[in-house]
Amino acid sequence: MSGAGLAGASLLGLAGCGGESNQSSSSGGMWKQYKGMTLNFISENTAPTSAIAANLKPFKDLTGIDVKISQLELGSLVQKVSLDVSSGDPTIHVIYADPYQVMAPFSQALADLNDFNEDDSLPSVPKGLGDFIPTQLAAAGRFNDPDILYALPYDTPTMIWMYRKDLFDKYGDQMSQDLGFDPTPSEKITWAQYYDIAKWFNDNTDEVEYGNGQQAKQYDSLMCDFSNILWAYGGDYFDNGVQVGKIGTDDPGPARLDSDKAIEAAEFYKKLNEISHPGSTSWDWTALDEAFRAGELAMVPNWHEFAAGVEASKFGGKVGYERLPTGPARSASMWGGTGLGINGELEDDEQRAAWLFLVWATSPETQLSGLKSKVGGGTPTRQSVYDLPEVKKAQHPPSDMPNILTYPAVSKAWEPENIGLRPKIEEWNKCDTVIFTEVSKMLAGDESPEEAMKAAKEGFDRANGV
Amino acid sequence: MLLPALLLLAALSLFPFFYIIWMSFNEVSLIGGVNFEWVGLENWTNLVTDPDVRSSWIVSGIYFVSTVGLEMILGIGIALLVHETVWGKNLALSMLLMPMFVAPVIVGLLGRFLVDSTYGLYAWFLDKTGLITWEILGSKGSALLAVILMDVWEWTPLIVLIVLAGLSSMPPPVLEAAKVDGANYVQRLRHIVGPLISGVVVVALLVRSMDAIRYYDIIAITTNGGPADATKVIPIRLYETAFRFQELGYAAAIGLSMLAFSILVANLFVRILKQQGLAR
Amino acid sequence: MNGTGKKIVLYALLLLVLLWTVVPLLWMVLSSFKNADDLVSRTPKLFFAPTFDNYIGLFTGGNALGGYIVNSILAAGISTIIAVALGCIAGYGLARSHFRGKDHVSFWIISTRMAPIAAVILPLYAVFRTLDLLNTTSGLVVAYLTFNLPFAIWIMNAFFADLPPALEEAAMVDGATRFGAFWRIALPLTAPGIVTTAILCLVFSWNDYAFAQSFSGPGSQTLPIAASQLITQTGINWGQLMAIGTIVVLPMIAVGLAVRRYLVKGLTLGAVTGE
Repeated sequence: MSGAGLAGASLLGLAGCGGESNQSSSSGGMWKQYKGMTLNFISENTAPTSAIAANLKPFKDLTGIDVKISQLELGSLVQKVSLDVSSGDPTIHVIYADPYQVMAPFSQALADLNDFNEDDSLPSVPKGLGDFIPTQLAAAGRFNDPDILYALPYDTPTMIWMYRKDLFDKYGDQMSQDLGFDPTPSEKITWAQYYDIAKWFNDNTDEVEYGNGQQAKQYDSLMCDFSNILWAYGGDYFDNGVQVGKIGTDDPGPARLDSDKAIEAAEFYKKLNEISHPGSTSWDWTALDEAFRAGELAMVPNWHEFAAGVEASKFGGKVGYERLPTGPARSASMWGGTGLGINGELEDDEQRAAWLFLVWATSPETQLSGLKSKVGGGTPTRQSVYDLPEVKKAQHPPSDMPNILTYPAVSKAWEPENIGLRPKIEEWNKCDTVIFTEVSKMLAGDESPEEAMKAAKEGFDRANGV
Repeated sequence: MLLPALLLLAALSLFPFFYIIWMSFNEVSLIGGVNFEWVGLENWTNLVTDPDVRSSWIVSGIYFVSTVGLEMILGIGIALLVHETVWGKNLALSMLLMPMFVAPVIVGLLGRFLVDSTYGLYAWFLDKTGLITWEILGSKGSALLAVILMDVWEWTPLIVLIVLAGLSSMPPPVLEAAKVDGANYVQRLRHIVGPLISGVVVVALLVRSMDAIRYYDIIAITTNGGPADATKVIPIRLYETAFRFQELGYAAAIGLSMLAFSILVANLFVRILKQQGLAR
Repeated sequence: MNGTGKKIVLYALLLLVLLWTVVPLLWMVLSSFKNADDLVSRTPKLFFAPTFDNYIGLFTGGNALGGYIVNSILAAGISTIIAVALGCIAGYGLARSHFRGKDHVSFWIISTRMAPIAAVILPLYAVFRTLDLLNTTSGLVVAYLTFNLPFAIWIMNAFFADLPPALEEAAMVDGATRFGAFWRIALPLTAPGIVTTAILCLVFSWNDYAFAQSFSGPGSQTLPIAASQLITQTGINWGQLMAIGTIVVLPMIAVGLAVRRYLVKGLTLGAVTGE
């Protein structure tokens, strides 16, 4: 944790926006102005939080503030946040503000972080807001209003194509011959070709049980997996999908899931599911990862942060990471990041103290030490962290920051035309449930793709009051 | 003597009860504290017309009858079995009671660990013997069966315990007399043991039924209602409505309907109890 | 069927039932000693190099299990003691009183235990917030009382109702108070019942997840919460989970074994027929 000590020192040099660099004693004063307070931080069970929880000392040294961390599964987190907000007398200071399940429905309860960032008596975001990857700042930090900032980007899991490089090396030539195209994974491969590759693995080798696996459990994971294909085929949830995903809106209008492209996407998803590992319909992303690490599958679309675990498994060094295949419209990679927000219902002093934690937790130093942490894996949200020489080095094996092996793929995935952002709307929880329930029924054979998409559209419209 | 406890109980239970009733007639929002907006019967009409709620009740119905039914049949059977055992009775009993001491959350996770096709012991065994070669939690029928069996595994011991106690308190002379009279096992069971433990059996039924309709930990942690809503019992839908969709007024209505169901069922059993009591 | 034949069938059936019951638990305990690779291996391993890593991991690091264990014991234990104490007194009072509507009161008492959990969380949360009971163990104790207290009253009522009042009446004729009769005569006679009630209350509290999840905070979280925290964004730590399972089960089994005799005798449920 060599970065940690530096974190304190470098952050001490910060001042409010526009101010001169103060003496360390007075900036130290800025950091220490809430000494003795205790902050409550509620988070999902995610790598950056585990890394921070394992080493809170730097923050305590810097500010004299104690932080109590609660790590909960996402559903429980949403429940606790809603209960805390409901009491009218909240206790949680820093919230892991999942953009879709927390920020959109509870945006009115979150503070506008610009107030703190521009306040001279408080430290501002090191290297400025521009250091955060732009699509992520918008997606994690804004809702409905392009000016208000509700959260600072904290983590950024993104879906990519993970595949057994060793198998592709071994069978690549044969596959080329049989399939008529070069199967080397990259975004140049189309989803139709992906299907062929997966089927080839099913039929021609016993080294893996199946070519492809999906996280098709009737759960969030199914929506994520399906969305990649929906977008790749040119379909979307609403009109202005890009805006609705990036900034969000409180009035999305009618759903467009019944469009021809959406139905085509659904048909392909079903087709793909039919030749994928049958466990798919009971797997969420974790179980999918376990199956991949156990050698059941040749390739999976899964979250890039699983790379850390994959590299530590028996297939370490044998796995490749690329962007997801391209459909008729584009190659889309679902983004699942989150930011940290402040509970706006608290007293001013408590909010300001919480801001100190936010700045520290998303600082370049903390993100770097999270990457290196034994407990973490981390997925930094700042460009400057990725530009550091030691991080750049980790892009190539052998790497002591295995998640960075995926950087070439995810960095492109975060570009505006490639990133996959689901709708940020108040009723998203309901719509999410509708889409993954209908697609689940489709996969189970209860509904045809067309019926499922039409039913989903109706469910969406009902939820949004259209 | 009754008063202190009753007062405490009233305080703990009456406030939530009236609060929920009030919520069911309102749309509840949480930002900045709890706010109510009167909507009259809207939540209640939704409750009756919502196809999702209806399908959850159907799944719950199947789940309820299967779990309670299986637990009662197996529980009574095992209790009879243990009762007849002489050698190793205490050891057997201690082992048989263990599952009910495991938290439902852990039972669910253990179940997942045993049944997942990647590393599950049971999945491996079933696959090798060719009995079940598909993903158990991934297809509708087997997923429902799996969660039912997990519940049965955990709670049958409770029934065994209660029924066994009843069996142990049967006066031996009555049984001896029956044996002397030439009655065989089945006859003794039907005409003597049966009536004597019927009260006990109904109590076990009541105790388990109260919880069977409202517990959802096992399902939540394994399938969370899937696949394709096959295991979406009503308490899961309740939780989802309350805390995922933030529709607390509607959730209150669902909750009250669940309470009504429990009370009806319990009433039924208590009435049977009374009949038995009078018959004796 | 002759005697030996019957015995064979009996023991065969018993063995089957025991296997059904015990195999998952054995597998759980066994797996708690496996390393990460062995846990998720395709072919389940019966023989492997054991390791204590999972247990060590649980007790060190940010979320040391020790605190959770203490919280669980305190919350479940204190709630049980209060529930049983009040339950005995109230149960006796109810059994020995005769007033119109007694059956209704009795039914109301047990119906409070039928509350749909997710629906009552919001009002209870509001109450706890006002009374400053959130994130405290005392808050959990009160939460558990919402289902332990009615259960204890109802069951103890049944036990007492089955005791012939004659003994107590004799004592009272001799000058004892109602409470005295309760304390010196009725209570000792229902000792097995009390133990049974206590065990069941303990079990229901120990196993609770919903209330702990809603009302407890970093200082008061219980073991089932610890188990769910092993479900992270990037994987389920099966090894530690199996270890937690083993730890959670052990004390309950020990307690159950210790009072086994009372447990069976206790539920002489000729009594619990709610007359």
